[in-house]
Amino acid sequence: MSPIHEQGERFVQPTVPTYNPSVSDDTPRHLLDFRGIYRAFGRLKVLRNVNGQARDGELLLITGANGSGKSTLLRCLAGLMRPQKGRITCVQNGKDLRLEARRRQVGFLSPDVAFYSELSTLENLELFAKLRGVEPARGGQLLDRLGLPRNRRAGALSSGMRQRLRWAFALLHEPKILLLDEPLQNLDAPGRRDVCELLENHLTDGLAIVANPDPMDLPRVDHHVELAS
Amino acid sequence: MLSWLAETLAVLAKEWRCELRTRYALSTVGLFALSTLFMVSLSLGPMGSSSELRPVLPVFLWVILLFAASAGLPRAFVHEEESGTADPLRLSATPSAVFCGKALYNLSLLLLLEAFITPFFIGMLALPIASPVNFAIALLAGGIGLAVGSTLIAAMVAQAQVRGPLFAVLAFPILLPLLKIVVDASLGAVLGSPVDMALALAFLYDSMVTVASLMLFPVVWNP
Repeated sequence: MSPIHEQGERFVQPTVPTYNPSVSDDTPRHLLDFRGIYRAFGRLKVLRNVNGQARDGELLLITGANGSGKSTLLRCLAGLMRPQKGRITCVQNGKDLRLEARRRQVGFLSPDVAFYSELSTLENLELFAKLRGVEPARGGQLLDRLGLPRNRRAGALSSGMRQRLRWAFALLHEPKILLLDEPLQNLDAPGRRDVCELLENHLTDGLAIVANPDPMDLPRVDHHVELAS
Repeated sequence: MLSWLAETLAVLAKEWRCELRTRYALSTVGLFALSTLFMVSLSLGPMGSSSELRPVLPVFLWVILLFAASAGLPRAFVHEEESGTADPLRLSATPSAVFCGKALYNLSLLLLLEAFITPFFIGMLALPIASPVNFAIALLAGGIGLAVGSTLIAAMVAQAQVRGPLFAVLAFPILLPLLKIVVDASLGAVLGSPVDMALALAFLYDSMVTVASLMLFPVVWNP
């Protein structure tokens, strides 16, 4: 685990090879690279010159105190928010994804993601499967894999079950790029074990960027970005 | 194209499934329209039997429909943003499919309301209609414009921090021309005068607001 870059006043020298699209020796199948990301809300500068990268099979961990901009960074990477400065390069299966495609093809998990409380877990996943053009049966398979009841209304789930449903939503379309904001939040020990296993499986072919306030018990960490508050 | 259609229908089906389980919009829109209708008919009586007062009645009908729509339709996007379901929808569907699914839901809700409230209105106010077909076409044209316009306004309102008065402020310039046209068309149908031009204008308005909405919506919906 080695820090790439630290935001704010302190700066840590890069200690892992840094991807530079113009001089890259090999083209990765999957890549998420962000350079000079800047985002402010009014006068509050949340992200200032943040850099990082993950390639095939790599996990990039983003840590930082509350309010340091981890969720904002992940929203920018997912295409749910535009950075005011900086560049994001997203390659999946060798194809450079533009904003609209990136938004629809990455797997995104965040505590802010909620589901239709009037619909059951299965109905929710079937809806998103239809919207993404995925076989609706995939939703049921993921619910079984994550130990979730199929017919319980999303509004009646416990916080841990909601987190499992977020995992199911993120993995529904079998994305190669996973963006996970506090992925172990509210999960019990078996739940953590299950999702760590899923993450490990994902990393055999894809990449993941994980944001959490503290370094946590992950299958592995290849790069680390620490955001200063 | 087929996948876009499937997405649109999935959004429409989701809207109706959620609505039938909560009955929020149905009860809000229906109760508002019904209470306003009763208030108008109890205050004015069978006003339609007077040929001098008859031209005022289509205005009342459209005022009832407009305010009922304003009470229920803006929820389409505000609820998504407030409950946190907007992000999964943004991540999963193409913006135009989301817009069309929501607009079709609003249109079906409004047509249902029109089908429910208009016979009561005609009966309680004793309103004779010279050309029922033209009257029905005017209701359809007005319904399309109201539904599509309200959907776009709802999407804009949902992105704002102060949502309360914004729907009324935005609806005034967008929906006022439509209301003027459909009131003229409905009046023509009631009196039996030619309404071709008014109906053509109403459908022209519908087409324009639909095209403009499809162009504007991705900008409003996506950050």
